[in-house]
Amino acid sequence: MVEFCAMVKIILRDKEYLVHPGMDLLAALKKCEILPESVIATRQGEIITEDEILHDGETVRLVAVISGG
Amino acid sequence: MPQHRMALCKDHFLEWVPEQTARFIKKYWMFGPEERILVAVSGGKDSLSLWDILHRLGYHADGLYLCLGIDGGINYSTRSQQLTEKFACERGLTLHVVNVQEQTGRTIPQWNEINLRGREKPCSLCGLVKRHEMNRVARDLGYDVLATGHNLDDEASVLFGNTLNWSSDFLLRQGPVLAETPGLARKVKPLCRFYEREMTAYALLRGIEYIYEECPYAAGASSIYYKELLNQLENHRPGAKLAFYLKFLEARKSGFFAEREGVEDVELHPCLHCGQPTSAPELCSFCRMIKVGQVE
Repeated sequence: MVEFCAMVKIILRDKEYLVHPGMDLLAALKKCEILPESVIATRQGEIITEDEILHDGETVRLVAVISGG
Repeated sequence: MPQHRMALCKDHFLEWVPEQTARFIKKYWMFGPEERILVAVSGGKDSLSLWDILHRLGYHADGLYLCLGIDGGINYSTRSQQLTEKFACERGLTLHVVNVQEQTGRTIPQWNEINLRGREKPCSLCGLVKRHEMNRVARDLGYDVLATGHNLDDEASVLFGNTLNWSSDFLLRQGPVLAETPGLARKVKPLCRFYEREMTAYALLRGIEYIYEECPYAAGASSIYYKELLNQLENHRPGAKLAFYLKFLEARKSGFFAEREGVEDVELHPCLHCGQPTSAPELCSFCRMIKVGQVE
């Protein structure tokens, strides 16, 4: 029997990325080629750390930290 | 926070940031408990967090918001002013608002059209107006010190740019405190040792509502490019940005950078119109810009 699982959605500004569940946030950011130093990740409004495991169907919103000009 | 080799829960992080800020204020002799502080607030995460922290530490800190008249299709100035006013109102803090258009006759984009015919971005012009107006308000209202929300990434980025260009005069002056001189208020950067990521976390955890969008003119700025480069370095070597800045401060303190021999100090005198110090013979750069604008 084939098991289907929902992907994890990662949103940064107007971009969306999809990663497989089961990996931690650090691995997911690496997969999306996003520097961990440049973002803060939130899940349901709460900040999560880089060792958090991402689960089926979750949405992680990334807050860009760089400002200025 | 691998750069500090520690991890904190929300409550302890929210205690740690103000404690460290208090430590930096004392370490660099920024200001004392009796002094009146004017915080330059833009509606962004750093300046609002700085105001929040100084207020929590019990300092007499009032805010100054400069409405630059930048729209950029996102009502940038209007929205950042609303957020700043909401922040001040909710905490019962005093906020001074200066509308650049009312003060000078034009918005920053309009000044850019006149001075540069819109060919370039208005960032240097905007910096000139902001420095002049911040100093004017600090001086006119009798504040002892002007505080800005520059964080470590801002400072490391400027340092990186100045080093790439070997701008020795700028390297000599860069630091957490710029001492007051006749006509110029003391300038301090109490957040200069916090990573930008730490300040974002502070604003989010503290529930500070700030303008998330960039200034519409910031896209493509070299300072942002330098920040991205330094973040790549930090990713491979946690603590690299902090070490870069702190080692620079140590080197500067130990006389590694010196005034050039044979180069005399530029003589400053009061601008004939506004009275702020200038090296130009009559009017300062700001007043010259206004004069040109009146002719156009």
